[in-house]
This record gives sequence, structure tokens and C-alpha cells, in this order.
Amino acid sequence: MSSTKKRIAFKTLGCRLNQYETDALVSDFDKAGYEIVDFKDRADVVVVNTCTVTNQSDQKSRNTISQAARNNEGSVVVVTGCMANNYKEKLEGEEKITYVVENNRKGSILNLVDAHFGGEVMHPAKLHADVFQFHAVDKSLHTRSAIKIQDGCDNFCTFCIIPSVRGRATSRPIPDIIENVKDTLANGFKELVITGVNIGRYDWEGKRFEDVLEAILNVEGDFRVRISSLEPDGFSDDMVKLFAHPKMTPHLHLCLQSGSDKVLLRMRRMYDYARFEHVVNLFRAEYPDFNFTSDMIVGFPDESEEEFRESVEAVKQFGFGHVHTFKYSVRRGTRAERMPNHIPEKIKTERSAILREASEDCRDQFLNSFIGKTQTVLIEGIDDNGIANGYGEHYIPVHFQGEGLSKNTFHKVKLIKVEGRGEDAFVTGELID
Amino acid sequence: MTMEFKPDIQLDETFYKVQEVRKLTEEAFSIRLPRSRFKYHAGQHVSLGIHGDYQSREYSIYSGENDECLEVLVKEVKDGYFSPKLSKLKVGDLVEVSGPFGKFRIDEKKIADHKFVFIASGTGIAPFRSMVRTHPQLDYTLIHGVRYGSEAYDKQEYAADRHILCTSGDRSGQVHGRLTTYLADATFEKNTQFYLCGNSNMIFDAIEILKNKGFDRDQIHCEVYF
Repeated sequence: MSSTKKRIAFKTLGCRLNQYETDALVSDFDKAGYEIVDFKDRADVVVVNTCTVTNQSDQKSRNTISQAARNNEGSVVVVTGCMANNYKEKLEGEEKITYVVENNRKGSILNLVDAHFGGEVMHPAKLHADVFQFHAVDKSLHTRSAIKIQDGCDNFCTFCIIPSVRGRATSRPIPDIIENVKDTLANGFKELVITGVNIGRYDWEGKRFEDVLEAILNVEGDFRVRISSLEPDGFSDDMVKLFAHPKMTPHLHLCLQSGSDKVLLRMRRMYDYARFEHVVNLFRAEYPDFNFTSDMIVGFPDESEEEFRESVEAVKQFGFGHVHTFKYSVRRGTRAERMPNHIPEKIKTERSAILREASEDCRDQFLNSFIGKTQTVLIEGIDDNGIANGYGEHYIPVHFQGEGLSKNTFHKVKLIKVEGRGEDAFVTGELID
Repeated sequence: MTMEFKPDIQLDETFYKVQEVRKLTEEAFSIRLPRSRFKYHAGQHVSLGIHGDYQSREYSIYSGENDECLEVLVKEVKDGYFSPKLSKLKVGDLVEVSGPFGKFRIDEKKIADHKFVFIASGTGIAPFRSMVRTHPQLDYTLIHGVRYGSEAYDKQEYAADRHILCTSGDRSGQVHGRLTTYLADATFEKNTQFYLCGNSNMIFDAIEILKNKGFDRDQIHCEVYF
């Protein structure tokens, strides 16, 4: 590289796994001497880490790529992520994009960019392919650091494009995971989020997801552990015991997708409503205020009004702390694309609004149930007025004020009042210590 | 003068040459591919692609784990996109195989002391043929629901007392009617492991019947076909 620092900006769309992979890239580029700048600022290189899980994700990814190219004329534009896999040839044909890098080569983007500035023209297909080659996150765009334990999915849910763009399920060896955990903790992170595409399918030398979780919890240090997203069938009843560990946070993002067993079968999900209910009851019997958050799809092909109502009832019954509601979106090449009786967009929008309303009521009730209780909040940011924000162990967003606070520190906060509604809702609190 | 032929394209090892297309009925056939180094567990499925076509489809493996060939069972959907193309494959044509995929497998630890009931509609019989061929010692009953008796694919391979054919369109089966009707009246031992494969409506109805009979959901394993 020349003596003038090259400026690089990143933009991530989609899931936590993508966010982690961007964070790891940020660390790589920082260590290599690049200056990390905000996406809004002028940069010599812009990396857009895309998502393709829904039509909306595609649209957002396309808009972001255009914005990156428009704001940085003449700069290197690197497009990676799931959309890069799904529309590789099309994207490669676009002049505004310099390089299209598939998911399995994402971890080698630094080599590609270095080569570019060194005058070497390297085709991304020549880059080393390894979905686990990301280093521990050091300089990050986030306070929490993800730990990637798994990639890919073999479930082939009928609506899902992910097996096509992330590839087959593969698990990272436990010794590598533990090394990554130790490196990440050494870099100062206090909260680790265990992530992957389908982490419940972890399978390495007979070790399952619970074994990984236990091994991570046994690492020494002042940190806590969160699980990013889990399928209801990916673990045994014994997992509830692991949540008694003081480092474990009482929160699971458990994907339900539909409250109707018939729809779940058509989605080719590996569980039914009763299994989901069993898990929720199992955890809440042990930890009554346990936070379950979830994903729901409305308007899946042939979803009847009654089946949709079952989803609404499920949201109410399980009292989710938060629900990501998705309108079913056709993904090319999936089995659901060829199913009969696709639901008109208007009905999907109506159903989505009803489910969101029910979800927001649940979130409101959940947050209010914590008023008067104490949360251990990890500070993520402090605004100009000295108000700190962060998440409690139950994944409750908390705002509070105090003297001499600093980012990335734990504080006990008594929760006082819920402000706002829906995704933007948070709880104000008083600092205890 | 002789010319040495050098192919321009290095074929990926997941491409296989069709060894045989075995006609089973007017609409159903099996495709046999050389097994090569391909390893799988009975009950798993593969994704098949045709050389030169961008689409692919999933099919349960029809052959046993130790068979010499890798075989899949296909029913041609007349107005479909993919199965009519598969039906036109000839010996020597290239097929791309990805996989194997799936957790629809027998728990081998249970083979010695459990009974197995396989419930299939139509080509949903495929994973069960694979299981039966792989584990000859299995204590199983296969309940196969089809429209006509001619769709009892490779019926002769199963012991007569283990194979219950339910035909809804003719009277050639032991049971005339849907397999769910048979299931509702049947009795099973308490420790039975149930494996269901076929269309989602059949599976949904069968699960309800089995649950009503008092069987735990953990005893019921499903693979949905579309």
C-alpha cells in the first residue's frame, strides 16, 4: 500500500452472521492500515455485504450498491453476501461494481483489495474459499461480538433461498471456536453472540450445539453469552440447564414462522406447534421471565384466514418480547415458488399489519413486566447529554443516566418506565451501581 | 493422423452418467446412477440437476446404502418443468447430484428393540425402500397409499406380511381406501417408531391419528413431499 492511508467504508444488510462477517473484515482492514470511514463519507473502497432473504432485502441491497457507487465515483466497489451468490452473473455485468465476491470467499476480501491497489488484477474466484477464515473481531462497528460456529443449511425449508446462497451445513471445530472466543475476549468484548445460519444443526465429531455452548461458557473471563437465532428442533431438553450458568443470558430468538401445523408442514419446518410450546413451557417453568423473540411469516402460499389466525394466537400465547414479521416473499428456485394459491400482496400486507399489532402489544406487556426489576446493562453508546443506552440480559433496551459512564461496561439499572412502542420501544432506568 | 481428445471442460465429480432408467409404471420410473464414492444414509435425499439446465429438484434416495448404484424414484408430472425432462434422460446422459441432505434417518440404536412403521403416499415410498434394503433385520411394516395397485413400486421386494397396500382408485390393494382410513383402525405396539413420507395433507392427517392413539410426537418422523 502507498503511504497515504486508503479509506474504506462498509455497509451490511440482513442477519447477524453478515454483521459479524463485516465486523471481522473491518478488523482485518484496520490492522492492515486502512482507515475505516462511515458509509456516508467518501472512501477509496466500499464493501456492501448484501442480503437476499426477501424481495425487500434484494431491493435494499440494490439501492445500497447504487448509493455506494454514486457517492464514491471511481472507487472500488466490492459486493459480497447472499445477494452476490444469488445474482452473481447479473451483478458481475454491472459496470458500477468492481468485484463480486461470493460468501465463501468473503473472508479474503482484504487480499483482493490489497492486490487491486498493488496493480494486480485478481478475479474473486481465485480467492481462498473458507467460510470460517474470519479472524476474531477487534475493531468493530458493534459492541457485541458474534462468534461464528456454523455456516450453511440443509433443511431446505420450502420458502428459503439460504441453502442455495450459503451452501451446505458445515460446523467449525470446537478448538477453533474456543480460540476465537479467547481472542475476541482479549480484544475487550464483554458480550458474545453465538451465530451461524442454523446453529442448532451444529455437528462436529459428534459434538452438538449444547457442547459448543458449554465449552464457550467454561472459558474464563468477565463476559456474557447470547444465542443469535435457533430453530425449535435444534436442541434437547437438557439445554435449559445451561441457562442456569451465570454467563448465559435469559433470551432465545426461537423461529416459529407460523402458528399453524399445516402451514409449518408446507414450509417443511422440522417441528410443530406442540414442540415449540413444549420448549417455551420448559424454559418458562425454570425462568418465568425468560425472553422469547421470534420470526413469523405471513401470507405463505395457500395460508387460509384460519391458519393466519393461528399465527396471531400463537404470538399472543407465547408473549414474545419481539417478533420479526415478514410478508412471504417468492424466492426463485424454492419449492414454495411453485406452490399453488399464492396470497395477494394486499392480503399479505393486511395480515402483516394485524400480526405486527399483536406483536407490539406483546412487546409492550413484556417490557412493562420488568418495571421495578433490575437489569445488568452493557453500555453500547452514550449520547451528548450523558444518557447511556444498551441492553439488559433479557435483551431489553435500556436508557439511563450516570456520572463517569463508559462504553462496554456492565451496570445494574432499575427499570422505571417504558417509552415508545414497537421496535423503537425502550425502558428508562436508574443506575444502581 | 490421430488426434488426442482433450475435453475443454473439467466436469465436476458431482456429475454422474445415467446408468439405467427403469420404467415402473406409465408415469413413474427410477434413475440409476453409478454409486462411485457417493455416501449416504438411508432416508436422505439428493438434489438432482440436468446438465445444461439451471433448475434442480430434490428426490429421496431409493437405493440402499450398500447398493452398487445410486437410485432415485421419480413420478412424471405431465405439466411440470423438471420431471418430464428427467423422463427423457437416456443412458450416458449427465445428471448433477448434490447432497446427500436430510435428517430423515433411522436411529440405528433402536433397530434391535423397536418396531418400525413406514407410512408412505405415492413416491414417498422411496426412503423406505432404501431403509429396508439397508437394514435387512428391521422389524417393519410398510403402509403404502396409492391410487391404483400398479403404483405399488417394486412391491415384490417387500415381505408380503410386512407390506400393506392401500388403493383408493381400485380394489387391488389389501385395503380399499386411503391409508389414513387404515391407520385410524390399526393398532400398534407402544414403542413403535413411525416414519411418514408423502404429501403434507397425508402427513398432517396421519400425525393427528397417531397422536390421538397416544403416540408421542418424538416417535413420529416426517419427510414432506410436494
